[in-house]
Amino acid sequence: MFTTSSVPRRRGVAALAIALATTLGLSACSSGSSAGSDDLGKPQAGGTLKVAFWPDNAAFSCVDPFQTYWIEHRTVIRNLADSLTDQDPETGEITPWLAKSWAIAPDGKAYTFHLRDGVTFSDGTPVDAAAIKGNVDGWLETVKATNGAAFGSSYILGLKSATVVDPLTVELDFSTPNSSFLQATSTTNLAIVAPDAFTRTPEQRCLGEYVASGAFTLDSYKPNELLTISRRPGYTWGSALSKNTKEAYLDKVEFSYVAEDSVRTGNLVSGAVDIAWPRNPFTVEDRALIEASDATVESRSLPGVSQSLFPNVTDGRPLSDLDVRQAFVKALDLKSYATTIYGDDYPVVGGAFDETTTYYVSQADKLAHDKAGAEKLLDAAGWTLGKGGYRYKDGEKLTLKNLIQVSTPGDELIQDQLKQVGIDLVLDVVPAAERPAAITNGDYDLVGTYFTRADPGALQFILDPDLANSKALAVNSSSPETLAEIKDLFATAARTTDDAVSKTAYADLQALLVDQGVTIPVVERLQYAGVSNKVGGFAFTSESFLKLNDVWKKQ
Amino acid sequence: MTVPIPPAGQPVPSGLDRAVEESLLDDAPVVGRRGNTVRTLKRLGRKPGFVLALVLIVFVVLTAFVPSWFTGFDPTATSPKDRLLSPSLTHPFGTDDLGRDLWTRMLHGSALTIKATLIALSIAIVAGLTLGVVSGFFGGLVDVVLMRFVDVLLAVPSLLFALAIVTALGFGTVPVAIAVGVGIVPGFARTTRAEVLRVKTLPYVEAARAGGASWLRVLVRHVLPNSWGPVLVLAVLDTGVAIIAIASLSFLGFGAAPPAAEWGTLISNGRNFLITAPWVSLLPGLFVGAVVLSLNHLSKTLQELGR
Repeated sequence: MFTTSSVPRRRGVAALAIALATTLGLSACSSGSSAGSDDLGKPQAGGTLKVAFWPDNAAFSCVDPFQTYWIEHRTVIRNLADSLTDQDPETGEITPWLAKSWAIAPDGKAYTFHLRDGVTFSDGTPVDAAAIKGNVDGWLETVKATNGAAFGSSYILGLKSATVVDPLTVELDFSTPNSSFLQATSTTNLAIVAPDAFTRTPEQRCLGEYVASGAFTLDSYKPNELLTISRRPGYTWGSALSKNTKEAYLDKVEFSYVAEDSVRTGNLVSGAVDIAWPRNPFTVEDRALIEASDATVESRSLPGVSQSLFPNVTDGRPLSDLDVRQAFVKALDLKSYATTIYGDDYPVVGGAFDETTTYYVSQADKLAHDKAGAEKLLDAAGWTLGKGGYRYKDGEKLTLKNLIQVSTPGDELIQDQLKQVGIDLVLDVVPAAERPAAITNGDYDLVGTYFTRADPGALQFILDPDLANSKALAVNSSSPETLAEIKDLFATAARTTDDAVSKTAYADLQALLVDQGVTIPVVERLQYAGVSNKVGGFAFTSESFLKLNDVWKKQ
Repeated sequence: MTVPIPPAGQPVPSGLDRAVEESLLDDAPVVGRRGNTVRTLKRLGRKPGFVLALVLIVFVVLTAFVPSWFTGFDPTATSPKDRLLSPSLTHPFGTDDLGRDLWTRMLHGSALTIKATLIALSIAIVAGLTLGVVSGFFGGLVDVVLMRFVDVLLAVPSLLFALAIVTALGFGTVPVAIAVGVGIVPGFARTTRAEVLRVKTLPYVEAARAGGASWLRVLVRHVLPNSWGPVLVLAVLDTGVAIIAIASLSFLGFGAAPPAAEWGTLISNGRNFLITAPWVSLLPGLFVGAVVLSLNHLSKTLQELGR
């Protein structure tokens, strides 16, 4: 199959995909513009855009920028609230937005932002240095109030305070350097809201009780039902990364929540919605259906941690043996996974991170499918073939328990791939509500998760027990020695202001994660969007969210 | 049907005893119970619908025990290159999105579904019969309390009730079977009670009591054997109901752990390909439909015979 030649081959596939996509009239790996707009003519103002999401977060319905981790709502927030900076989805470069310029102190402990003049929140109050300070204070309070559970906590590590230098200059001070903070200011989670929002409780803010300075304002949010936003008149401060930096074209946008993938696709094909925005990538069949209906399929890798399995390496568990972990990786046929589940042109995952993540280095050669190699490693580790084609050691079967929430075809494919080398993978269906407890109690061997953020630091929030949402998962994923190495590399990357140092540290980290089997990458996460042929100006942000500044609808 | 009143002091002979006696005593070749059975079978044999239904059910039961007789594929072996093939001679039901032969998965699913159905029915029959007999036979306060309890159970939609139970018990074939079984207990209890109330007033029961038989003996020897005819018909009918309920629960993802697939799981797996590869959902769905229809037909025919 694919061994050492996998890197060039993979690029070949990507190139082919892009070529194909271009001929089909869709922009495969996302650019700022949509191919459709040329055929549609000039942008028109007005109209209501209907977007269908997958179901709302039942456990935590929230549209507050700082608190939510739900990627669909981060898409909504991108259009409601502006950030200090923006990030170019193509180059990863940080560009001005609410801040027209900034300076970072040589020790990395102070960031000074010079704000653009004349920007106002939708309630008329100005976006000035005091407002930014209000946000910083609010973030720090929210971290305390939620015990660090607010998603934004992960973006402001080391942030201590903010000082108003003059009405349009604000300085943010850090107790420890945080090299990824500049990128963090471009994210939706650190989007700026009118500071009086922080007088409300975190729960009230989650339900939309805040105003911001974005191109749209929130009309109503009914969790898991409908969310509507309207154009903000007088908006003139869009990021230069959008073609249209003035008022948005659309009058209104309605986001609905559709549970069934096939229904969501059907809604787009029948014209009931203009954009179908799935969480899990479209199946090949759905893509064919969408393209047959003259709608287009847009896609971009979601930056951050790829869809991966994290092992439980606690003593006594089969995966505590590095050989077994490596055999597991070799037994997986990731290319076959990508093509079978998501189609021939679907990218193959190349490591702990998706390819749109800053500092991404492909580890594809180490992740190649190698059945013979896996068998050799397992034999050497003392697991020999026995009854039913499974492996045994001291009479015990090589059974690995994977905690899943719903059974997907992908899980069953992996199960069968592992069976080929004699590993018995048990798919243990645990509902979302019971999952944290199941992980804490430690009776599992593998658990899958991911994390969306355009910075490799994202992985700390899975692997570092001091920062992770699930401490148990973080503790179980690596041996104490490996964990120390991982933390060290993260710290090196965070403390420096020298880009080259960060780059080396993150490259070492990505190699270490795969060598030590700390993350077992399964599949690249692609954000797909099915876009009706009436819609022009479609664009992804650097976080692969939907940006509506340029979007318009043919009347 | 006329019931001969036995002389006092003697137990009422059971149907089998009587059949044996009659066939031994009577010289006529095909009369009496055995003759009735033969005649009934001949009559049934002339009903093509009944025969078809019976053949299908026998086939399903067979596949549940020896699926390998009917297929050469492995139900869990994936084959990406054979993904979503339409039905053909090699793959009568086509293949699913991982290239697994659907016919094979269907047959292997029979075992799980039949197992779940049998457990559900056993629970329903045992619990339903007990409740019904106790309630109908003893009457009075016992009857009132038990039947109000059954009323409450009947008031809760059975699928909702089953969902609540399966959520509490966890996922898997056995919990689903228990949930469905408990859900259909009330119907059995009611039917049994009605029959017991009818049988209880018949002269032979009175005679047995008068003859000095104990309550327990009357219950076991006389009331029970004579009241479960309608219960058996209901059992056949409820097999279909149980299969649908089990399929619904496994459709919702409460069934056996993957890669094992109950019928409902198979239907559910195809729902994203309804337009592009309709057979993935439709063929298993039609199969379940045919099985349930057959069971209904069987039970209806049995009911007609009973009249």
